[in-house]
Formats: sequence, structure tokens, C-alpha cells
Amino acid sequence: MTTFAPSSPPASAQSAPRPKIHGVLAEFHDPASLLHAAEKVREAGYRWWDCHTPFPVHGLDKAMGIQRTILPLLVFGAGLTGTTVGFILQAFTNATSISVWALVWVTGYPFLISGKPLISLPAFIPVMFELTILLAATSCVGLMLLLNGLPWLSHPLLANKRFLRATDDRFFIVIQSRDPRFFRSRTEDFLKGLGAKAVEAVEA
Amino acid sequence: MAHALSANAIPAAAISGERLAPRSRVLTIAGIVLLVAGFAMVRTDPGFAAKAWLQAWLFAVSLSLGALFFVIIQHLTRAGWSVVVRRVAECIAANLLWLWLGFLPIAWLWFDGRLDTLFPWANLDHLREVAPEEAALVGKKVAFLNPGFFMIRAASYLLVWALLARFFLSNSVAQDSDRSVARSEKMGKWAGPAAILFGLTTTFASFDWIMSLNPAWFSTMFGVYFFAACCAGGFSAIALMSLRAQSRGLLKDVVTPEHYQDLGKMLFGFGIVFWAYIAFSQYMLIWYGNVPEETTWFMARQIGQWRIVSAALLFGHFVIPFLFLISRWTKRWRGTLTFGVAWMLVFHWVDLAYLIQPVIPHDIGKYDTYDALLAAYANEAAPVLNPGLIALSAGMLFLLVGRTLARLVRTGLLCKGDPRLAESLRFENF
Repeated sequence: MTTFAPSSPPASAQSAPRPKIHGVLAEFHDPASLLHAAEKVREAGYRWWDCHTPFPVHGLDKAMGIQRTILPLLVFGAGLTGTTVGFILQAFTNATSISVWALVWVTGYPFLISGKPLISLPAFIPVMFELTILLAATSCVGLMLLLNGLPWLSHPLLANKRFLRATDDRFFIVIQSRDPRFFRSRTEDFLKGLGAKAVEAVEA
Repeated sequence: MAHALSANAIPAAAISGERLAPRSRVLTIAGIVLLVAGFAMVRTDPGFAAKAWLQAWLFAVSLSLGALFFVIIQHLTRAGWSVVVRRVAECIAANLLWLWLGFLPIAWLWFDGRLDTLFPWANLDHLREVAPEEAALVGKKVAFLNPGFFMIRAASYLLVWALLARFFLSNSVAQDSDRSVARSEKMGKWAGPAAILFGLTTTFASFDWIMSLNPAWFSTMFGVYFFAACCAGGFSAIALMSLRAQSRGLLKDVVTPEHYQDLGKMLFGFGIVFWAYIAFSQYMLIWYGNVPEETTWFMARQIGQWRIVSAALLFGHFVIPFLFLISRWTKRWRGTLTFGVAWMLVFHWVDLAYLIQPVIPHDIGKYDTYDALLAAYANEAAPVLNPGLIALSAGMLFLLVGRTLARLVRTGLLCKGDPRLAESLRFENF
């Protein structure tokens, strides 16, 4: 972020800035103390922070103050889009002719099948249904990744030896350095005060 | 969850059915009175009386079957979340121990040689006179559709259901005092065979008692349709009875919005979406195939007032409850869920009327076009709002609820010895 004027001399070794850090990592040994600490971190007003646990911990969302996701609404919209697209696709291709904004005339393939009308809703429903499911399911996964800011090719936490046990038997709170309330020594003391068994900085 | 009850902290008053006893007596007496009144109203027309009785009785049977399936599937999946609502389900299912009495009027018709009041195949000679083509088709089915075999099958379904309901209820009640984990394992082990037996008996019962009302018509999907309908009714009944028990101060903090949400999900999945999926699949195949002996069944449901009932079913059993119950919040709030499940019970009953009451006109073959058929039968009445039918159905429903409450008084409202009770009490949806 910092820009140097081209004429200024390189910073001397003595006043070299400390290495940039991703944030501060606090390790807990059981879900209960993690839950308790998460409540305190939320109350302290931190915003750029997260918990990492080897298994889902009940009540953690509430302790962290995480809002409910809008994903279900988006998926519902995607499903409705699928239904509509499914109908329009078939009605359009079955129609004898159709004018697109009265500019382009398109001729379709009017297939008469066993004497059914060209626009036959019962025959269209399987395709409408499948497209509803297709768009709802794929958008559900896709939007979930998008809302979570995924995928990441790498993450600073993955280089941390201590953090490896987040998938085994340790519980972590990570407060990121980008948080406006983050101040390294103060944040580290704060986390130690919450009963963390170990606190250390994570290199960026 | 911070304020989840621990299994030892449940007050005895919250799970004792004592205070339901007066309500159970009132409902039982009201049920019997309504049944007598309803019978008095319909008895002048034996054909309709028999169908009205069949619908009212199958309404009660289907609710119990839905509840029985709920119990079986919980044991089959070793579900922990549902323990707090399982006793209510077990007690609704246990009505199958007396509901066989409702088959006696049909057995009496058979004994009296008048089974054709209800089932045209029981008197082939008469059918040959009024509809020779139909009789020719039905004549090929006599190896299956004959009164003797019909009665043997009916007895076997009713026996299997009574045994299944008794097995799951009695083991669960015994577990209340002995707290034996072995009982849960035993019920889990037998849930598999029970599910197979349940599937076969329910399918064939729907073939026998509903599909064979129009013996020339057939649909291999019919059993699944009836099963989905049972789920719609049964799951609604479980949710409604739990909600009502809670508004009388019982099961406080035991059944939580988390459990209601899951009951709502099961109703949504099986009773609304799966029902619609099956109903549409059956309709579309027949509509596309356009074979006269298959389409007649739907024709009979599109003439006169039945057209309105069919449309009401599409919207009332699928579109409206789908949009209403799809949200997480409507399933968790007691008011909205009560409305949703009561609505589903009403439309499950309409569904049974749609399955049982319409009659395929014998002269349906003589109309050249669909429009000509519609015009000829424009005034065909759908006796859905017939007071006698409503009285009989309400009577069966009151009797069902009354007997369920009486059983809850004896057994208590909670499977308090279940090893998964603690898990169920602190259950939470993500």
C-alpha cells in the first residue's frame, strides 16, 4: 500500500518496518472456552475475525454474531428463473413464428406430437422442473462460494504450523490485522486474557 | 443451546397427559355422536353412504399410517432429533389397534352379498349388463379381485398395521421405565422389515380400497401416491397435536422451534413436494399416452364440479402450501405452522374425496370429443361439501384425536427413557 517517491533513498536496516502480518492467532483446547472467547471478541467490536474448529460447534454463529445468509433467497430466485427459462425455451422453440421486439421474425419448429397443442403445459413441466433444480442447485453451490469469497489459491493461515491442528483437536480464533481495532500487542494481550492457551502472529 | 432442558430437569407435569383426559372423553363422545348423525344423513343413498364411510374411515387410517411411517423411519435412521415428538406419533399410529373396526361395515356388505355397493368388480354379472367393455377388462382380474381374496388381504393389512403400531408403542412405553438401550437397538433392527411390510401393505391397501373402485382403471403409481398422501396427513397430525399440547402448557421447552422446523421440513418434502411430484408423474404419463382406458379416470375428475376440486387440489395441496412452508420462519413460528398443517389436513381430506368419490360415467366412450363430454356432464355434482360426508369425517377425526389423547393420558407425552432424549432436547438446526 505504501508508495515511495522514486528519489527517496532506501530505508535503512535499522528502521526497517516489521514484517507484515496477516493477523493474530489464538489457540483454545475446547469448544466451551472458544465460545466464551468468541462472545468477548464480538463484544470488543472486532469485525475482521473468524473461528476455526475441527467440527461444527453449536451456537458459534450466535456467539460470533453472524447474520443469517441471504443465500436461500438468491437460490429461490435462481429456481424461479429456471422455471421461467424452461417454459420460454420450449414455448419459443415450439412457436410457429415469433417477433423479437417486432424487429426480428423467428420461425420455430412446430412439431405436432400425438395431437397435443403446440404449447402444452403438462409436456413442458418436466423440463421446467429440471431447469429449476439445475439452476437452483448450481447457483446454490456457486453463490455459496462467491458469498464466502472463495476459492482462494492459498491462505496465510495454511503456512502456520500451529494451525494444522484446526482439523484435528484445536480451536482457533484469528483476528486479522486489517481490522480497524487491530493493534498487535493490545490484541495479543486481549486474546491471552480470554484464556487462549497460545497466541501468536501469523505472517502474511 | 443455552436454555436447552436437561433430560433430568423436565418437570413431571409437563409430560403427564393427565389434564388431557377430559378433552379426550368429550372428543370421543362428540365423535360417536357425529358418526351416528352422519350415518343418519347419508343412509338413504346406500352407494354414497358406503363411499362416504370409506372416505371418512380412510381419512383416519391415512393419518395413523402417516404417523406409523414417521415412527418407522425414525428408528430406521436412528434419528435423535425426533425423540421429543415420537410419543405423539406413536400414539396416533396406535389407533390402528382399533381402526380395523371401521372395516366391519365393508365386511358386513360382503357378508350380506352387497359388496358391489362399493366395488363394481364384486358383481361382474351386473357390470356386464351396464358396461360390457369394462366388464371384459375387469373379468381378466378376477383371480385378484374376488371377494374372498379381497377380505383375506384386508384382514392381513389391518393385522400387520396393528402389530407394527403395537410393537413400536409397547417397546417405547416399556423403555420409559426400564431405560433399556437394547430396546432402541431392537426397534432399529426391526424398522427395516417394518418399512418393507408397511410399503407393501399400504400400496396394496390403496389398490384394493381406492383404485378398485374403478376396477377397469389401473396405475402402478397409485400406491406411492397414497403413501405420499398419508405422509401429508400423518405429519400434519403429529405437528398439530404437538402444537396443541404445547398451547395447553405441556411439553414446555421440550419441543422447540428446532423440532417444529424439522417436522415442517418432512411435511414439505414428503407431503407437499413428493406428493405433487407423484401426482403429476401419474397425470403426465396418462395424459401423454392418451389411452382411453387410462384417461377415463382423469376425465371423471374434470367434469362438472370435479374440475373445480381438481384445480383446488393443485393449488391447495401443492402451490399455496409450497410457497407458504418453503420459508424457514413459517415452519418455526407456532402460529404459521399451525395454520399450515391445519390447511394440509383439510386438503388431504379433499384429496381423499378426489380419489374416492368421482364415478366414471359408463357412457364415457360414446362422446367423440372432450368438449362434448364436458358439455354432457356440465352439471355433475362433487359431493365434497355434503353434510353427511363432513359429519362422518369429522366424527372419525374426533374419535381419532379422542382415542389418541386417551392413550397419551396412559403413556405420557414423552419417550422419557429413550437414550437419545438428551440429544433431542438440545437439537439445533444449522
